[in-house]
Amino acid sequence: MKPHFYKGRVFLVLGLSALMAACAGPGPRPEGEMQSARSAIEAAEADNAREYEPVMLKRAQDKLAEAEELLEDRENREAKRKLDEAKVDAELASARTETEQARVAVEELNRNIEAMRERINGEQAGGQQ
Amino acid sequence: MRTRILPLSAAIGVSVLLTACASAPPENELVTEAREIYQSIENDPNVARTGATPLREAKNHLERAQEMLEEGEEDRLVEHEAYLARGYAQIAETRGERNKIQQEIESAKNRRDELRLEMRSAEARQAQSRAQRAMSEAERAQNEAKLAQQEAEELRKQMQELKELQAQQTDRGMVLTLGDVLFDLNQAELQGTGITAVEKLAEFMKEYEDRRVKVEGYTDSTGSEAYNQQLSERRAQAVKDVLMNNGVASDRVEVQGYGEAYPVASNDDPSGRQRNRRVEIVISDENGNIESR
Repeated sequence: MKPHFYKGRVFLVLGLSALMAACAGPGPRPEGEMQSARSAIEAAEADNAREYEPVMLKRAQDKLAEAEELLEDRENREAKRKLDEAKVDAELASARTETEQARVAVEELNRNIEAMRERINGEQAGGQQ
Repeated sequence: MRTRILPLSAAIGVSVLLTACASAPPENELVTEAREIYQSIENDPNVARTGATPLREAKNHLERAQEMLEEGEEDRLVEHEAYLARGYAQIAETRGERNKIQQEIESAKNRRDELRLEMRSAEARQAQSRAQRAMSEAERAQNEAKLAQQEAEELRKQMQELKELQAQQTDRGMVLTLGDVLFDLNQAELQGTGITAVEKLAEFMKEYEDRRVKVEGYTDSTGSEAYNQQLSERRAQAVKDVLMNNGVASDRVEVQGYGEAYPVASNDDPSGRQRNRRVEIVISDENGNIESR
């Protein structure tokens, strides 16, 4: 009976400590994530996302600010999640901005081409007179 | 009692297990949305070219979200993973779009360059044809100038010839005057010298077919008006006859008698009267026009 009783205790202790390791503790400070989120936001600003994707850029900036507050309260895990989302938001703002700029460029090109076509046709019509 | 509890708990356990297996996997709206976006671009070649990295990220986060959902993890944690999955999927998607637009830009640039070339060569062709037109224009102008010069030369020659016929330049053009002495007294017949002068005029007219003449007879105021009128007409007609005998067509010679009208000198003295008795041959310009009195 005694050994059996012991065995149960050992399991209980092991289980508890595993549970504590999993849930307790603030975890490491998300320095790398902070760095990534910041540079993603800077890149989006440099891309002129403020003009094309202001909402998405703002969302990223707000999450960065929230993460900074969470870190002050040593809420490292939650801060890391905010930073990961801030990075995605900023990258999406960049990607959409670049796509939009490409769209503007192609429209401009097509307008130029159309204008040239009209000129050529006009000249040909004029040349036949 | 105990013997019953065990089967019961077993039954409950089994049924829970059954329920778990039979029921559909748990759902979450955000996870579903992320999955739909991911599946819509998973096989897009444009995404594969430029959005491979975020696409892989999206896949990892999506799988993680699925697992957490199945493990019954807290909603906010599941949705955090789903949010990242959706974000990366959207990044991949929009990069794929950009890749497509980039290709459009490339082909548009090619088209634009072709059109530029076409425009340049069209402009060159136009400049060439303008130059050609200008050249033929210049050539034509030169020809015209040459022709005008030839005409002027020709006209000068004709004027010279008329001068040799003793024609005078007047305000009605060139006029050849046959004096009274070339006619028999009070007769219409031309004398030899007069005939010679008119024959020379006939030669001139045959050479220059557009020229016409108007033969006008005049007298002095001696004698009756009716007689003078008639004499002036007969003398003019006599000149016309000589012209026609020398091959000048009748319709090129107009005849008019003016009698005592339009004297060129006083009728009070003999020399004046002699000057008034005359035949004037008005020679048309090179186009056959004659100034009428």
